[in-house]
Amino acid sequence: MTLHQIELSGVNKYYGAYHALRDIDLKIRKGSFVALVGPSGCGKSTLLRSLAGLESISAGDLVIAGTRMNGVPPRKRDLAMVFQSYALYPHMTVEENLTYSLRMRGVGKEEARRKAEEVATTTGLSALLGRYPRELSGGQRQRVAMSRAIIRNPKAFLFDEPLSNLDAALRVHMRKEIRALHDRLGATSVYVTHDQVEAMTMADHVVVMRQGVIEQQGAPLELYDRPANQFVAGFIGSPAMNFVPAQVGADGRSVVLDLGTPHTVALAKSLEAGRVLIVGIRPEHLQLAGEADAGLRLPVGSVESTGAATYVTTATQPELVVVLNSRVSIRPGETLPLHLDPAHLHLFDRETQIRLA
Amino acid sequence: MRRLLLSIRDGRGFDIGLVSVPLIFLFAMAGLPLIYNIVMSFQEVDMFSLGTFARPFVGFKNYITLFSQPETWPILGNTAIFVVASIAGQFTIGFALALFFWTGFPGSSWLRGLFLVSWVMPGLVVGAIWNWILSGDFGVLNFLLKESGLVAANIFWRSDPNFSLWAVVIANIWLGISFNMILLSVGLSAIPQDLYEAAELDGANVVQRFYTITLPMMRSSIGALVALGLIFTLQQFDLFAAITAGGPNNSSNVAQYWAWDLSFRQYDFAQGATISVIMIVFVMFASVVYVRSTRHEVRG
Repeated sequence: MTLHQIELSGVNKYYGAYHALRDIDLKIRKGSFVALVGPSGCGKSTLLRSLAGLESISAGDLVIAGTRMNGVPPRKRDLAMVFQSYALYPHMTVEENLTYSLRMRGVGKEEARRKAEEVATTTGLSALLGRYPRELSGGQRQRVAMSRAIIRNPKAFLFDEPLSNLDAALRVHMRKEIRALHDRLGATSVYVTHDQVEAMTMADHVVVMRQGVIEQQGAPLELYDRPANQFVAGFIGSPAMNFVPAQVGADGRSVVLDLGTPHTVALAKSLEAGRVLIVGIRPEHLQLAGEADAGLRLPVGSVESTGAATYVTTATQPELVVVLNSRVSIRPGETLPLHLDPAHLHLFDRETQIRLA
Repeated sequence: MRRLLLSIRDGRGFDIGLVSVPLIFLFAMAGLPLIYNIVMSFQEVDMFSLGTFARPFVGFKNYITLFSQPETWPILGNTAIFVVASIAGQFTIGFALALFFWTGFPGSSWLRGLFLVSWVMPGLVVGAIWNWILSGDFGVLNFLLKESGLVAANIFWRSDPNFSLWAVVIANIWLGISFNMILLSVGLSAIPQDLYEAAELDGANVVQRFYTITLPMMRSSIGALVALGLIFTLQQFDLFAAITAGGPNNSSNVAQYWAWDLSFRQYDFAQGATISVIMIVFVMFASVVYVRSTRHEVRG
């Protein structure tokens, strides 16, 4: 048995002249939960549909469970997919929806019914087996779509933004449920989402895509701590990372932030003096400091409080967002003394936008 | 009266006012003639009593007379054959074409649009063209059948009692294909594509997808279409007038043509009305099927 359940190497996809996927290399370990994340149009759905066989790939190799699957039709790939629209069969009851794949494979009626009841018990659908999809709520439909996928023990689960039609509270709940289900089944899952929070909280391995290219892949916290470039840095994390144009100071040990007025902060390591770059600062890494140890004093532009946290936007150019986890009484126009750990600075080349090692 | 006028003016009865306009129109233009026709079927009507309503009622005498005539059952049988064969042919070919155009090859929507040409042609013109095609001595159909070796001798479609009804059936199938095809195309395009994708991943092959997704999802379209087809084929008059005129010897006569023939050529209005009433029963049945199937839309 191979270690990798799904392997993509050098995968390219063209729609006419449009290059939708560019040299995708991706190895998905058996039993892992992989999230494909990126803005709309980045190719994440195309990649998922290519795995499923609903789109053909123009070049490269797709290997599922050790078998090359390039030209194999979807029904022979033994993958289960949960669609954004759920794609439940409207003319079938919940039970018929669940057993459809079994019936298509010639599983006996009794056996199919037994399995449907078994799955329905684990997903809390037992009381709804006789209903039609139109008689179910959004959350229940979602469960049916999930149950339909897990009933036949496929080689991998593919999720295409399955939670985007649910309200916020249910979404958070289903997030946990899907992950728990994944762990219980020991399944391999590929999950497409545009919501980086979903990707970060659910996945073992996050793949960030943009314009058909994998920008970075790795463990969620690795992406958070060491984003490979400015795009990933800005995409992962909420609220988004602040970016400030800057120049390394003459001593090479400090950097001058251009916030309309120059502000000097220390660097963790020395760099070539005078080099221009982009400094990324996560809002949560700017912390309130005492007057004595403040490394950065910034004028306050606006203050928003959610009760748990206070969001301060500075009156600088560009604006910085600061998240303070304490209740502070600051008013616009005042000066905010901030502390910034040099180890938390993210430095990017201004031309290439790539992270400086 | 004053209250009624007031209720229209103050807006509360306005909805009733709006609905009553089409209802009155429908009653005057369709309801009254229908009722008049039913009444006539229970009266003795001749050329001299045509101008008055006060005609002697004769109970079911017209019906008894009708069914005692030797040609009645063969003509009703012809009607059944005509309706079933026309609908079967129109539906099968129409569905096949709809599926064919649904594959979406380049130019498919253009070609589908062109099919509507048959729809804008008057029935009499279609009949005249089919007269040429079906012609015994120089018809194109006979030429094709003979050259391909399917038949040994010319078939006299319009004058051979064994074929005359089928001559009209063939023309009527041709006329109805485009209507069937368009309605079924609409039904097909209303099926969400992701259902097919889900079914494909669930392991269904093309044939399984057709029987488990396409057909059940088309149920209401098909029900409505068959009901409309029944109504339209029972209405089909032009082709009979143009191709066989019910002949020879009633071998291609059907109820709707016979009713016209009795009423307006033999001036036996009572008998004509009686046949019409029998047809109304069938059309009412079709209407119920139509209303029910359009109401039972399946969508999750």
